[in-house]
Amino acid sequence: MDKDFINENKTIEEIKNTFHSAEAKLQRKNRIIVKLRSDLIPPFLSYAKNYLSFDHLAHFSCVDWIEDNQFELVYILYSYEKNIIAIVKTRIDREKAEFVTVKHLWRQAETFEREFHEMYGINFTGNNRLTEFILEDWDDIPPMRRDFDTMQYSKENFYTRPGREDAQDVREVITKKSGEKIPDFAKEFSVRKLK
Amino acid sequence: MREKETTLYFGPQHPGITGNMMVKLKVAGDTIVKAETHVGYLHRAFEKLMERRTWMQSFPIVCRICVPEPDPNEENLARAVEEIEGREVPERAKYIRVMVLELSRLAAYFLWMGGQSGTAGLYTVPQWSVGDRDYILDLFEELTGGRIYHMYIWAGGVRRDLPEGFADKVLKTMDYIESRLPEYDKLMFDNAIFQKRAQGIGVIDKDKALEWGVVGPPLRGCGIKHDVRKDEPYEVYDKLDFVVPTYEGGDIWARAMVRRKEMEQSISIIRQVIEKMPGGEYYNKVPTPLNWFVPPGEAYVKTESARGEFGYYVVSDGSLKPRRVHVRGPAYVHGVSLLENILVGANISDVAMIMNSLGVCPPEIER
Amino acid sequence: MAINLKGIVSPYNALKQIGRKPHTVQYPFQKKEAAQRYRGFHYNDLEECIGCGTCATICQNEAIDMIFIDGFETTSGDSGLRPRVDNGRCCWCALCVDSCPTGSLSLTKDYLHVSDDPDTFLLVPGLDNPEGKENLSWISNGNSLLDYQRIPMPELEGKERVKSFAEVVLGYSEDQARAEAARCVGCGICTDNCPVHMHIPEYINAIARGDDEMAVKIIYDNNPLGETCGKVCTRRCEEICAVSKRGEPIAIRWLKRYATEKAKNKDILKEIVNPTILPPNGHSVGIIGAGPGGLTVGYYLALRGFDVTIYEAKDHAGGMIMYGIPKYRLPIDSIDKQIEYMKSIGVKILFNTKVGKDISFNELKQKHEAIYIGIGFEVPYKLGIKGEDAEGSIQAINFLRAINSEKHVEIGDKVVVVGGGNVAIDAARVSRRLGAEVTILYRRRVEDMPADWEEIEGAEEEGVIIHPQAIPLEIITDENNKVKAIKYANAEMIPDPKGGRPRPKIIEGDEHIIEVTSVIAAIGQEADYSFLPQEVLESIEIKRGRIVVNEYQQTKLPWLFAGGDIANRRADAISAIADGYRAVKGIEMLLLNKEIKNGGRLN
Ligand SMILES: Cc1cc2nc3c(=O)[nH]c(=O)nc-3n(C[C@H](O)[C@H](O)[C@H](O)COP(=O)(O)OP(=O)(O)OC[C@H]3O[C@@H](n4cnc5c(N)ncnc54)[C@H](O)[C@@H]3O)c2cc1C
Ligand code: SF4
Ligand code: SF4
Repeated sequence: MDKDFINENKTIEEIKNTFHSAEAKLQRKNRIIVKLRSDLIPPFLSYAKNYLSFDHLAHFSCVDWIEDNQFELVYILYSYEKNIIAIVKTRIDREKAEFVTVKHLWRQAETFEREFHEMYGINFTGNNRLTEFILEDWDDIPPMRRDFDTMQYSKENFYTRPGREDAQDVREVITKKSGEKIPDFAKEFSVRKLK
Repeated sequence: MREKETTLYFGPQHPGITGNMMVKLKVAGDTIVKAETHVGYLHRAFEKLMERRTWMQSFPIVCRICVPEPDPNEENLARAVEEIEGREVPERAKYIRVMVLELSRLAAYFLWMGGQSGTAGLYTVPQWSVGDRDYILDLFEELTGGRIYHMYIWAGGVRRDLPEGFADKVLKTMDYIESRLPEYDKLMFDNAIFQKRAQGIGVIDKDKALEWGVVGPPLRGCGIKHDVRKDEPYEVYDKLDFVVPTYEGGDIWARAMVRRKEMEQSISIIRQVIEKMPGGEYYNKVPTPLNWFVPPGEAYVKTESARGEFGYYVVSDGSLKPRRVHVRGPAYVHGVSLLENILVGANISDVAMIMNSLGVCPPEIER
Repeated sequence: MAINLKGIVSPYNALKQIGRKPHTVQYPFQKKEAAQRYRGFHYNDLEECIGCGTCATICQNEAIDMIFIDGFETTSGDSGLRPRVDNGRCCWCALCVDSCPTGSLSLTKDYLHVSDDPDTFLLVPGLDNPEGKENLSWISNGNSLLDYQRIPMPELEGKERVKSFAEVVLGYSEDQARAEAARCVGCGICTDNCPVHMHIPEYINAIARGDDEMAVKIIYDNNPLGETCGKVCTRRCEEICAVSKRGEPIAIRWLKRYATEKAKNKDILKEIVNPTILPPNGHSVGIIGAGPGGLTVGYYLALRGFDVTIYEAKDHAGGMIMYGIPKYRLPIDSIDKQIEYMKSIGVKILFNTKVGKDISFNELKQKHEAIYIGIGFEVPYKLGIKGEDAEGSIQAINFLRAINSEKHVEIGDKVVVVGGGNVAIDAARVSRRLGAEVTILYRRRVEDMPADWEEIEGAEEEGVIIHPQAIPLEIITDENNKVKAIKYANAEMIPDPKGGRPRPKIIEGDEHIIEVTSVIAAIGQEADYSFLPQEVLESIEIKRGRIVVNEYQQTKLPWLFAGGDIANRRADAISAIADGYRAVKGIEMLLLNKEIKNGGRLN
């Protein structure tokens, strides 16, 4: 065991002893990462709050791993007493995006859950306030999902002021002069428009 | 007899509101029975936009999350990326960053003073404090090229070194600001009207403060001594000498006094920084921004902003662009679940006072 | 309840501010000058700008368009475009300034623009605000986001090098290559200078993204000798690299080398390139000379379904890259791999078949519908001084050919090489490896040497002495007609009144003699066209030793194409490849397109 991280490692041990299937590891000083099966999240958070002094829900995040067809829910807990942040993560199905609320543990979780409901389309059972939060009359797919294309949306919904149609593509101008033909398979590597 | 309940829409355009948002109030007489925060007037989808932009292009975005205090956003994104990349930051840059962060805290507190006393009906203070804040903005203009959006702290250090003679100007401005503090005391903090309006109002329950996610001056105004700069010192805060003022009471007054005392600490920190700042590099260059791949990883970083713990959760999937940048400003909690709770039982005339004292800032809630 | 007297009285302190000078500026009578670094409107030095478009690429607000403006045209090293900023979108982040490779773009202290015409918010910096030059504020000097320093190429040390013919350049590691590739801004300005217009930004970008195989595939799209070029190319592209305006150009050649070396053998190479080979189309083409030009013609025609045969006089393919370029620059394994790969996709090479000796030109003409000649310059020029025929007086290309064929050449321990081109340097560096002390005599100044500066440096590191402004006068021989010494005169440089490059003039009486064991002449070569029948020679045009061709490398005889050293003045591998590539297009048109009139002339 690393001498420098006694506190962190002790907490990791405790977690592993209580939740055998938890993958808990040290990220760095003051940071541990805990990965859990989704059904263990509610008991774990309750345990972390009540027994391990992680009383502060510092942050609650959601990441869309569209390629895995999963959402990752990330609860970032802080123990003022231990001065450790635990990044608690679990993955849920993206198609049937459902999870349970933790607002009984931290009332502010309600706000995060409202946001994820709106922005990712995740339903949190037990949270009866999954009402409109930031958006208004939204009828497209939840916009923070990776497959929601902001560029497309803005093209469809906003108009571009005329006057900029004469813009040229530098690469094209040069190939036109030299006669270079970029093969199709290489084109994706010449696209320098970063948006 | 129970008074009849009516609904009152407070905002989104209201001089007492801290930015465009609305609090829907159910009132009985002038007592609030229920409060609901409504945001969405300032949603700019920054987090989504960043997923479509390169890492470097994200830096000019994050500062826009907060007008009064953009720098903690830049600081957080920079530190998160540095943590994921394992990028070193030159010592000089760390000192410069602390200087910027403390200047920005002072500027934010000046703006808060204006708002807080304005909502109490003391209209001279805003005139002064906004003017005095401008002297700090002058410094920012000289250092970063911008008065409000500095776009100055980024991964690897800061964007430019201090200009010639800058340190002296900072010290002079600090002397000036310090000389002004007693004036503000007389006008605001000692003012009977302000005290009357602040004491015992908007009380946060000390026992619940941690669980409810209260941070920053509101937390320290409950007598709880926590400050990210001390709990998890970033940059060079561990090399600087400062104290964390706390006040008991959990009311507007306690929060105000915490901020008032912190201003002195910030001035002292800035002086120490200028004295101790080493020479050398100020930037450890990242790759050419068009080809800057950040290795896969994640980081949660936090900075003590003028309104408390400001957190960023950043995920990289190894590509040119962030996978996720999730901003957690203090107002996300203070302005919704906390505000809705402590407004219950308050008087209508205190809503704006309470909101100001909590540092509620809608652009931070909706980004 | 106690009365808070202090709280009531103290606010009146504010009254003492009455009559004091206000802090505010009395706008518009007074104006506040913006700070030295203020991020206001753009200014662009239009002459410095090269239209690379990096500013437009980095702008996250899509505020910049690249447009044509009067007075600027697309030339080598300049797209002719200039940025126009939409100040309705700009957020003055100055990422564009900090990413501008040339440093032409800046921000100024100006920040006020009031107009009821929204079109005036489009600003062509520098054109619309020439006065901005006086007002520069945010500049990128010394603070650029670009990386102006090249990742140094690991090399053997000079002392180590002369011990063997081991490759001097060691190659980038993966990390080094990624870092070097990451410096590229991807503008593509460079491609214009590449004779074959390789897809440079694309393959560099592929490397930066970690997709080396894609890079190889992109390279082979129009260059079948990518690995050769990766090692020895004259890299004109690097000369106009946008980053080179303020720093070291991207190491385009070394990146190509890195990628192509990833394919360890011909099978892997074939798997990566995975070219489409069209079914035979029934047309047959003959190629004379398996130099880079001939090989290129063979490769791309074979892919396109032509039946191609290359006739090569020697027993190895590659031409001068095989027999000229020394092995410490281009190892034989590398050449073999590339040739084997070409054979594997259907290129036929008949070795030891010299046209004019082993087979007649007319026979070729009967066998094939079109012929490409790529015989290169193999006949060396003579020094034209006394003693030149003595034993120990040798020609550089004969010398190099012998060494590259692993033959022994006796040069003794003191060699003088005459000339200043790459061939001279190669001969000198090879002689060092054979253990001789080497001096190069060159007519003009070092900066006039046509050789690559890296080659010159490399030679010096290996202990070659360069004696510039020295003109050989006579080779002194002993009684057995063996070289004993060389006599030369020092020269002074006479400026050319017409503004051309200065000419050397012998300083009378400043003559010297160096004792030597051999003299190696490297002052140029020419072609041997004697294999061509008289009627062909009469029908085509040869000017200053080179065959005149059109843009498809077609000679005056529609079925006869020529390229490489015998047709271009650049005389390097990539130009030969480019000639070959153009000839492929010409031959394809000629044989597949029935419509061609004009007796088969393609223009
Ligand atoms: C010492 C030296 C160093 C060089 N270094 C470089 C370098 O670093 N980078 C670079 O880009 N270029 C370099 N070059 C130049 C480059 O090698 C040539 O420009 C290039 O090889 C020319 O190609 P080519 O297609 O014209 O044919 P060549 O390479 O000249 O090949 C001609 C081929 O035709 C064959 N041939 C000739 N006559 C007949 C015939 N009658 N029948 C059949 N076959 C025949 C020859 O045997 C030879 O194989 C160097 C040249 C020399 C001499
Ligand atoms: S980046 Fe600089 S050189 Fe390139 S087009 Fe823009 S202004 Fe011109
Ligand atoms: S300053 Fe920023 S927003 Fe404006 S044109 Fe340049 S990159 Fe775009």
